[in-house]
Amino acid sequence: MSTAETRTRTTPGLVPVPETSRATERRPPEPPAGAVPPRRSSSAFWRLLGSELGLTFRRPRNLVMLGVLAGVPVVMGVALRLVAADAELGGIVTSVAGNSLMLTFASLSFLVVLLMPVAVAMVAGDAIAGEAGTGTLRYLLAAPAGRTRLLAVKYLNAVVFSFAVTAVVALSALVTGLIMFPVGPVTLLSGTTVPVAEGLLRILISVGYVGAGMAALAAVALALSTFTEVSIGAVAGTMVIVIVSQVLRAIPQFDGLADYLLPARWTGFDGALRSPIDTGAMAEGLLTFGAYIVLSGSVAWARFSGKDITS
Amino acid sequence: MRKGTFVRWGVPIAAAAVIGAAIGAGPVVAAVSGDPALPERSAQQLLADAVAAVERTDGPLPMSGTVRQTASLGLPALPQMGGESPLALLSGSHEVKVWYGAQDRLRVAMPTHMNETNLIVNGDEAWYWDSDGNTATKIKIKAGAGWAHEPATPAPTPSDLTPQAAAAKVLAKAEEHTAIGVTNTAEVAGRPAYQLVLRPKAEASLVQEVRLALDGETYVPLRVQVYAKGSAEPAFEVGFTQVTFTPPAEENFVFTPPAGAKVEEQTLGEVISDGKAGEHTGEHTGDAKAAKDLKVVGEGWSGVVVAPMPDLGSLPAEAPGGQGDPAEAKALLDNVLKSATPVSGTWGSGKLITTKLVTVLLTDDGRLLAGAVTPEEIVRVAGTR
Amino acid sequence: MTREAGAPFGAAPPSAGAAIVTRGLTKRFRGGQVAVDSLDLDVPRGSVYGFLGPNGSGKTTTIRMLLGLVAPTAGEHTLLGLPLAGALPRVGALVEGPAFYPYLSGEANLRRFDAADPTASGATVRRRVGEALDRVGLGAAAGKRYRNYSLGMRQRLAIAAALLGPRELLVLDEPTNGLDPQGTREVRALVKEIAADGTTVFVSSHLLAEVEQMCTHAAIMSTGRLVAQGTIASLSGGQVSRVRIETPDPAGAARVLAALGLADVRATDAEVTAELGGHAPERVNAALVGEGVAVRGLSVVRPSLEDVFVGLTGEGFDVDG
Ligand SMILES: Nc1ncnc2c1ncn2[C@@H]1O[C@H](COP(=O)(O)OP(=O)(O)O)[C@@H](O)[C@H]1O
Ligand SMILES: [Mg+2]
Repeated sequence: MSTAETRTRTTPGLVPVPETSRATERRPPEPPAGAVPPRRSSSAFWRLLGSELGLTFRRPRNLVMLGVLAGVPVVMGVALRLVAADAELGGIVTSVAGNSLMLTFASLSFLVVLLMPVAVAMVAGDAIAGEAGTGTLRYLLAAPAGRTRLLAVKYLNAVVFSFAVTAVVALSALVTGLIMFPVGPVTLLSGTTVPVAEGLLRILISVGYVGAGMAALAAVALALSTFTEVSIGAVAGTMVIVIVSQVLRAIPQFDGLADYLLPARWTGFDGALRSPIDTGAMAEGLLTFGAYIVLSGSVAWARFSGKDITS
Repeated sequence: MRKGTFVRWGVPIAAAAVIGAAIGAGPVVAAVSGDPALPERSAQQLLADAVAAVERTDGPLPMSGTVRQTASLGLPALPQMGGESPLALLSGSHEVKVWYGAQDRLRVAMPTHMNETNLIVNGDEAWYWDSDGNTATKIKIKAGAGWAHEPATPAPTPSDLTPQAAAAKVLAKAEEHTAIGVTNTAEVAGRPAYQLVLRPKAEASLVQEVRLALDGETYVPLRVQVYAKGSAEPAFEVGFTQVTFTPPAEENFVFTPPAGAKVEEQTLGEVISDGKAGEHTGEHTGDAKAAKDLKVVGEGWSGVVVAPMPDLGSLPAEAPGGQGDPAEAKALLDNVLKSATPVSGTWGSGKLITTKLVTVLLTDDGRLLAGAVTPEEIVRVAGTR
Repeated sequence: MTREAGAPFGAAPPSAGAAIVTRGLTKRFRGGQVAVDSLDLDVPRGSVYGFLGPNGSGKTTTIRMLLGLVAPTAGEHTLLGLPLAGALPRVGALVEGPAFYPYLSGEANLRRFDAADPTASGATVRRRVGEALDRVGLGAAAGKRYRNYSLGMRQRLAIAAALLGPRELLVLDEPTNGLDPQGTREVRALVKEIAADGTTVFVSSHLLAEVEQMCTHAAIMSTGRLVAQGTIASLSGGQVSRVRIETPDPAGAARVLAALGLADVRATDAEVTAELGGHAPERVNAALVGEGVAVRGLSVVRPSLEDVFVGLTGEGFDVDG
């Protein structure tokens, strides 16, 4: 509604006078006091998320990280090709050299240990702490972005980035593999052979699973991010958690704990490479990720919604 | 502080409680409800039922599931070990997947990260697949050679006795050294189960009790736990974490070596050497000569094996199964010896190695004593020549 | 609904109530320090309200509480008579200096903050951002990265961000901080212009002169406490004007002034001052000249806010903090 342009105001007992203020002419009808039009709020949410994604995927630092992650499978592919040419090696080298799709699994297996978590922690750990550090958080909240809404947008953004990281690795590895190694039926870990199309489907399943695992890490990083104004602190804290988990996982005495550690679950994507697909272990992995997301998310919310913004 | 601090932090606390409850749900629910989901049975009835069930169905039921083995024997921390090394089974936990179709249709898979070993038995043909080595081994089975259907479930099938008689006989023999009880409230892999509790009567035994869980419906053994004295967690445990009693898909028992794999052939006799001596202390089984000199002192649970000490230098190279890396075995041995405590007595002196379940004494006069008994007991045995 | 289709800087539709009301607003930080101590502010609509106090007197903390960034330890407040979430879209704010994304252009930065406002429309953002940048004279530097902005440009961009939507209230925390004299003049002119549109401006400052020049109302803070508030005139009204006469004959002048009935006559070597009271300065001058006292200069000294401050707290207003 932008019809009412020049209006007159009537006051009982007084002669109606046309209002003269410049501002009045532009004055739209009054919304009810304090109302944020409800129908708008969902589109406003997507607008903020769009802004957030634009920030994340245009930020030079993040692009460099994605570039590095895309480069590793290429390097791995070249190296494995050189190695496989002159030596009879077992295990993963043989399977990668033997089939173009296997490079994707090998790359995920290698990068999921440290490099992908670093990339995700950099974005998710920066989410709140980074804004607090530069002081932009106070202007976002005064806008008003709304604390719960901002946190939700920040997390969704980190989730998108988590899947982007995983997809970039998988795509780069897939393309490298297709160029360097023979295309053909894929031999699974169980020794069963499946057609290429099914191999691609299994890659898709792995990407979904690893992406979910990274999203769980993003929730942890986001929670830490609400406790500090130094984003490096949140990133480093997240990596300490990852590395301590890796160590605990390697110690037999803490074996019972391994099921509940993120790094131990990330590698569970290889369930997609078994016959039949190890749905039990993968579902448990997804449940673990879900538990991390719920717990860390609620901690992040409890902290952030009550935090004094003094930066 | 902002209003509602407690309310806000209540959310993550509630989330943690829900997650904690979900993780501990199985045992907690079972413990809290405590309803005997199963009718009561005496040990004798239970064994009889189990034997009858096996006979009635002509062998165990078709099933599939995940078996987890956990050992915390209290050994010194082992150096990094490959997933398949038999030594690796001595600590930590390991998972295998089992698909059981019939006596001669079986698949056992041991999944490790980006790797899998498979044993697939189908009739008189068997395959062993190792994805790491990209090798498929075809195993010919000689006529009459049977397959243990599944590691944890040795099922006695004494066909010449009635189940009741067999049970009675077994129990009579066992009760000489063991107190036997039955509980009907256990739950294994989400299924109600009977639990046979065997408690050694011998004072000197390190074993507190052995618990054997039998499925309440099919009487298939689902779990074995060995508890050491003074420890609330089992020192050794093997059992199903997930199990279904439906016939597994046929494709599990079909194996075609993938293109590009190395294919080898072996006959059964070569693969399965006489592993009968193997308890979890199997590493110390020596060669045939050692076996001859072997004697057991004491009875039942407090028995102590006395043997001439094998040459420690050559032992690692002879690690049974031939699979373990000699360097690994050596590292383990060094580690273990490092933690040994010197002891001496009227019988001489030696080195004592204690774990939660097993005590080993290496005497300086070249004897090796091992048993699931207390150090005092093994030292006493060392003194009785 | 096209609230944004209206004027970008004009007054938004009025909501009932005063622009800012606080009652017993208190903030005690974790260390136990009381930054703001039971503050009762009443900021009338349409005023240019100076929030004056030396550094560390609790101005920024008060503004953070007003904007919901910091939770008060006690007390309450309303903006525009609305609940906070409803009020904030109608409030433009500058808190403790500019803060932007260094790797984004000025324009991209404004779009970013506009996206955070749930009532702002993405359809009109381009126009509104352009107008806000033009308003603060940054139109030409719109595409430049924030990292390369000068201090003055950064400050102006922050004001542009506060002008992105139709605002009923602008809260500006030390908007001239760090600006050169030229920048300071520009900001003051901008504030007057905005106020002329009917927008209430709440501006904090540690500069007495600034508040005296810009504002219609003022509140004076000292170590977290409100010392005084009201119109500039009423604040100054508590103190009386003095007449100051430069003369080679201070003794004679003092006599004349005393004879006229002026109170508190003080004489020094070359000048005499006294409370003017109800006397007209020109009459005082005529009387002096009539008595043959040479008058080299005569001026009326109106009381400044500094005098008010000193009078109320007994301390000097520490301009440099
Ligand atoms: N986050 C904080 N923690 C503890 N004390 C603070 C914090 N922020 C401000 N203060 C203290 O509160 C007082 C008021 O600060 P501030 O509101 O920034 O004053 P102003 O803006 O008037 O200079 C100061 O003494 C300052 O040291
Ligand atoms: Mg300040």
